[in-house]
Order: sequence, then structure tokens, then C-alpha cells
Amino acid sequence: MDFLGDGLRRAAQLLLSTDAEVYGIVFLTLKVALVATVIACGLGLPAGFLLAGSRFWGRRAALTVVNTALAFPTVVVGLLLYGLLSRRGPLGGLGWLYSWRAIVLGDVVLALPIAAALSAAAVQGVDPRIRRTAETLGAGAWRAAWAVAREARFALAAVITAAFGHVVAEIGSAMIVGGNVRGQTRTLTTAVALYTSQGDFGFALALGVILLALALLVNIALQVLQGRGHA
Amino acid sequence: MLELRSVRHRYEPNGRLVLDLDAFAVPPGALIGIVGHNGSGKSTLLRLLALLERPAEGEVRFEGKPVTPRDARALRRRVTLVEQRPVLFRGTVRDNLGYGLRIRGVSRADGNRILESAAERLGVQGLLGRSRHELSDGEVQRVAVARALAIMPDVLLLDEPVSSADRAAAAAMYRVLDEERRARGLAVCLASHQLEDAYRWADDIRAIAEGKLSPVTPENLFRVELPPRSAGAAKLARVGTIAIAVATEREGPAILGVPPTDIFVSRQPLASSARNVFSGKVTRLAHARAGTVHVTADVGVELVAVVTEEAVRELGLVPGSPVTFAFKASAVRVF
Repeated sequence: MDFLGDGLRRAAQLLLSTDAEVYGIVFLTLKVALVATVIACGLGLPAGFLLAGSRFWGRRAALTVVNTALAFPTVVVGLLLYGLLSRRGPLGGLGWLYSWRAIVLGDVVLALPIAAALSAAAVQGVDPRIRRTAETLGAGAWRAAWAVAREARFALAAVITAAFGHVVAEIGSAMIVGGNVRGQTRTLTTAVALYTSQGDFGFALALGVILLALALLVNIALQVLQGRGHA
Repeated sequence: MLELRSVRHRYEPNGRLVLDLDAFAVPPGALIGIVGHNGSGKSTLLRLLALLERPAEGEVRFEGKPVTPRDARALRRRVTLVEQRPVLFRGTVRDNLGYGLRIRGVSRADGNRILESAAERLGVQGLLGRSRHELSDGEVQRVAVARALAIMPDVLLLDEPVSSADRAAAAAMYRVLDEERRARGLAVCLASHQLEDAYRWADDIRAIAEGKLSPVTPENLFRVELPPRSAGAAKLARVGTIAIAVATEREGPAILGVPPTDIFVSRQPLASSARNVFSGKVTRLAHARAGTVHVTADVGVELVAVVTEEAVRELGLVPGSPVTFAFKASAVRVF
């Protein structure tokens, strides 16, 4: 219990101390998670709509691939991206290896199937008469999709929350392609791993508490937004 | 205006044929009643006419031209469907009535004027501020019809539009449809199992059975098992507690149709060539258009005959009267 109590005390002290390194880690974690969530959901939600609402050749196979990708090990994604982004890899010219962009790329690869699969499930849960009604009243494909999205708003908000939760807590890929470079690519998860391995349990726990608080804040913000749209 | 040609529709490549129509036309200003049992293909037919689905075979034509998928999107602004159990979007009734108008770029002021007029005609003006969760099923149906009328379509397709409405609300809705039709040539196609309504309000009744247009209305349609060839001239098909004599070569499962206009109605059995003579009691009289009456009688099964109002008066038919229905074996259609 002392261990936990110490951790909580140190977390509070760290947040109040205006420690530049801690704030840098928090800021980078938030930046990476938000950018990756926006990109993953920006691509994944329309893909989910397509998978759920359209009939095309290979749709079932695509759904199977997306559902399988949900269980993709993060370290394997990190390894594959490392191969692509390393100096001799096909994307080596980008110079992204050991940069925050590489962490974002890994997070997008991991969160995209979550956004696509869960939003497909959300759309499939909407009464099919909603789309038909919108269409028969003259709506084109986009407006009809928007009418469906409005009906599935709670489920779609949960998709965004799940994607954010996944990327903010991701470590395997971030460690491999980010490199855990102090002041550049050190996120809360990689920092927790580092300080734990160095035996500084209190500091690691303090960063873990901050990570949890961050996830909690984002969830509360999303719930407030959902509440505003209630009808 | 709107037409189906040589349409055969199935939902799976080798699945059951749900619709098989050589031709089905909806002319401008028509008020067509589509009658048929549940599962007969009425809703599928309406979805094809609404351009929401494409037929597996055949074509849909609008104003004489085949409708391509690209045309369908544009034409859906002129043809609209109110489904059997309509849904409202989230938001208020006012938001719902304005949905189609917003899509068409109608200004807020004009939109409010149009939707309030539609709401008033359907008697839902008092519901404009309510959300869908605060409405009864009948109110949802009226709002859905008002929402469809607000966009002033050329063709309005209605699937069981008054299944949850009381008589007064149903009559009011039919009156509004008739006014729209007279005022601007709106074509209406309504599917209903409430035959009295269909006969009372529609000009043109089309019966559909097993996905095909049937020459007889569905009151007298029976699913039967026809016995193998027998020595006699007519086969006997058991329907409920009676056996109907049928002149057919068919065997096995079939649908029998007895055209209501081919049934002779009398107070007592009369000597005649009719092989089918059944006595029972009148259960219902429904006055249809053009001076005709639909006489429903329980003669072991429920049968409907169409006679003139004059005949009803002369025979003194009222609910409960003894009655005899007679029809020839050769008058029975086999599908």
C-alpha cells in the first residue's frame, strides 16, 4: 500500500512541480495519441461504413481481415514498421525512424482496424429503414450515411474512445520505432517501462497514474460531447 | 409515368423468386390499391418502384426511359415511399418534416410554411415540437405521410399506411391523398391488407399473390393440396371444412382463386350447373365504389362475392342473413 500511496503522492508532486521533462512526456503522449486517433478514425470510420453498408465483391474477406487485424500484436507491427522505416527500408528516405511520426504511424496501423471493425458493427446495428428513409426522401449517399451516423452516434463515440484508449496505452510499437529517446520520443508508456526496469517504481507508478488520468479526462470530454447531442 | 417491365426479383442469386411481373405501370394521377397476403411481394414491389432496390432481372422505366443507377438517385427526389412501419429520424417532428426540404435546398422560411401546411392537412400540427419517442404508432405513421407529402413527390408509395391509425385518421389521410391527386396529379400506390379501404379509396385494385399479379382479389385465395388425377371431371380441393370443386389437370400444392365477381348470391340454394354451392351467413357488407357491394359470408370458410347494391336490397342482405354462394368449378383459378 505504501508503494501505491508513494506513487500517488509523487504523481501529484510531479504535476505540481512543473517538471519540464514530465510535462514534455505528457504533451508528446497526448499529441501522438490525438493525431493517431484522428487519422485512424478519419480513415477507419468511412471504411466501417463501407464495410457495413455496401455490397461489393470481397466484402466478407475484407471484414475478416479487419477483424483479424484487431488482434495484431503491437510488437510485430513495430517490427514490420522498423523494417520499412529503417535507413535501408523502402520508407527509409522519410527519415521517420525514432521520431514521433513513426510512433503515430504505428498507432494508426494498430487503431485503424479497431475504428473500422467497431464502426462497421455500429452501423450494422442501425435500423436499415433509416438509410432507406433518407434515400427515399431524396438524400444522396453522403447525406444518407450522415443520417445513419446520427443514429449510431453513441456507438461511434465509443469507437473513438476505444481507438484513443488503444493508442494512448500502446507500448510495443512505440518502443521499437520510437526508440524511447529522452525529450524526443519518450511517451508515458515507454517512460513507465524504462523507469520500472531501472527500479524507480515510484516514478514509474506516478507516470502510470498520470496516464490513467489522461485517459479519464479524454473519456469525460467525449461523454460531455455525447451529452450535448442527446435527443 | 413509372413502370416495371419483365421484372423478376430474388434476393439471392439462386433464391426464391419474390416478384415476377411482366408489366406494372403507375400512370400520373392514378390511385392504385395493391392487395395481397403478407409475404405476397407487396413491399418488394413498392421498394422496386421507389428505386431503392434494382430488380435482379427486367427494368424500371420512368417517363418511358429505363432508369439507370445514376438516374435512380435523382429520380428518388420525385418518387417517395412510406414504409409499413415508418421510422422517424432523431430530432423533433418539425425536423423530420423539414428533412426532405432541407435536402432540396428550400429556404428555412419556405420550408416552415410547407411543412406546417403538410402537418395541418395530416392533423399533426400539434406534434411539431415532439420527438419520436413521444409519439404513438399511429402518430408516427401520420408524421411519415406528412413528411413524404411535404416534398411534393410525383409518385407516393404507401405500404400499409393506416395499419396503426383509427378510422377517422385513416379517412382523413385518404381524403388528403385524393385532394393532392386532383390538385396536382400526384400518383398514389398503396399496399393494404385492409381490403375495404382499398376498395373504397383506390380507383384501380391490383391483387398480388406469390409475387405475381393475380386476376382475383385476395379475399378468395386459398393454399391447397390438389389430389392426383381422378375419374371425375372435377377435383375436390379441401379448404377448411368445405371441398371446392376445381376443373384442373394440376396436382400437388397450388393456390386456388375464386373471383368474387363469379360468385352467384342467393337466399336459398338454386338448381344450377354450379358444382360449388355453399350456404352460410353474411358476416360483413362493404360498400365499394361504382355502386357495388362486397358481401362476406362464412360458408365454412370466409368467401367474398361482389354484387350490386340493388341485388343486396332485393335479397334483403344484412349481417347475419342466411345466404348461399354458388360458382362453377371452371370459374376457380389455379396458380
